[in-house]
Amino acid sequence: MKFNSALSKHSDEILALLKNARDKDIQLNDVMSMAEIMMNSMHAFFKSMDVAVYKEMRDIATYIEKAKGDISNLQANKLKGEHIPVAGRELDEVVAATERATDTIMENAENIMATDPTDHAAYQTAVNEGLMNIFEACSFQDITGQRINKVVGTLKHIEERVSKFASATGVEDTDYEISDEEAARLKRQKDLILHGPQNADEATAQDDIDAMFD
Amino acid sequence: MALNLAMEVLVVDDYKTMIRIIRNLLKQLGFENIDDAADGAEALGKLKEKSYGLIISDWNMEPMTGYELLKEVRGDDVLSKTPFIMVTAESKTENVIAAKKAGVNNYIVKPFNAATLKSKINAVFGEA
Repeated sequence: MKFNSALSKHSDEILALLKNARDKDIQLNDVMSMAEIMMNSMHAFFKSMDVAVYKEMRDIATYIEKAKGDISNLQANKLKGEHIPVAGRELDEVVAATERATDTIMENAENIMATDPTDHAAYQTAVNEGLMNIFEACSFQDITGQRINKVVGTLKHIEERVSKFASATGVEDTDYEISDEEAARLKRQKDLILHGPQNADEATAQDDIDAMFD
Repeated sequence: MALNLAMEVLVVDDYKTMIRIIRNLLKQLGFENIDDAADGAEALGKLKEKSYGLIISDWNMEPMTGYELLKEVRGDDVLSKTPFIMVTAESKTENVIAAKKAGVNNYIVKPFNAATLKSKINAVFGEA
C-alpha cells in the first residue's frame, strides 16, 4: 500500500517533468531528475518488500520455535529410550513369569496324576505337596498384575503426550506408504484369516459354533 | 468310523504348554499314543511318514498355519479322510465358516475344558 502511493506520487512527478519538457530539447538535467525520481520509487519498493519479507520470516521463525516446543513436550527421546523399553521388559517378565507358573502347576498336576492311588499315605502326601506348590505358583498373578498395570500406565502416558502433540500442532492423519514387510504381513493376515484372540463380545460362542456343525 | 483309543493322535500347536495341556487331557480320556508338532509344516512331514487317526491343530502358527495344514490334508489323496479338529483362539464366524468349507470335522474355541474336547472327539467319531 505504502509502495503503491509512493509510486503514484513519483509517476505524477515524472509526468509533470515530461509536460514541462515538451517542445524543448531534453537536457542532461532532466534526465538526472527523472533518474532521481525513479531511484526514489525503487527505494520505496525495496523498503516495502523488506518489511513484508521480514514479517514472513518472523512468522516462520515463530512457528518453528512453537513446533520445537511441541516436539520437546512430546518427549520422544524419553519415550523411545526409557518408557517403551521399560514397558517391553515388563511384558517380557509377564510372559516369563506366566510360563514358569504354568510349568510348575502342570508339573505338580502331572505328578499327582502319576502317583499310585492305591498307596493311600503316599498319595495323600503327593496330593498335599502338589496342591501347596500349585497355590504358591498361582501367586504369579499378583506380580504380573502389577507389571501389567505399569505397562498400562506407560501406554496412557504415551497416549497423553501424542494427543497433546497432535492437538498443539494441528496435524491431520494422512495416508502413508507401508513397507513391503508390513504389506506382506497384512496380506498373510488377510489370506489366512488371522485375527488372533477376540474380546468376549466379539467372539463366536462355542454353542453357536456347535450349531454350525449339527 | 469307530473311536479307537490306541490310534495315533497328532497334536499341532506352537505353544508347548498347550501341547502339554492337550496331551494330559487326551491321556485322561484314555488315549495312549499322542504325538506333537510345532506348526503345520512339521505336522505335514509327520503325517506323510506315519498314519494318524486324528489331528488336533491350532490355527495361528508360523510358517504354516493350521488352516493351511487342513487344506493340505484335505487335498492329499492319502490323508484326506483323516479326522481334523481345530482348537484355536480364532473365534470369528468367518474363521469357522472357512474351516468348515475346507473340511474341518469340528471346531473348539480356546480356552476349553476336558468335557468340550471329549464331546467334540466323540462327535467326530460318531460316539454318543
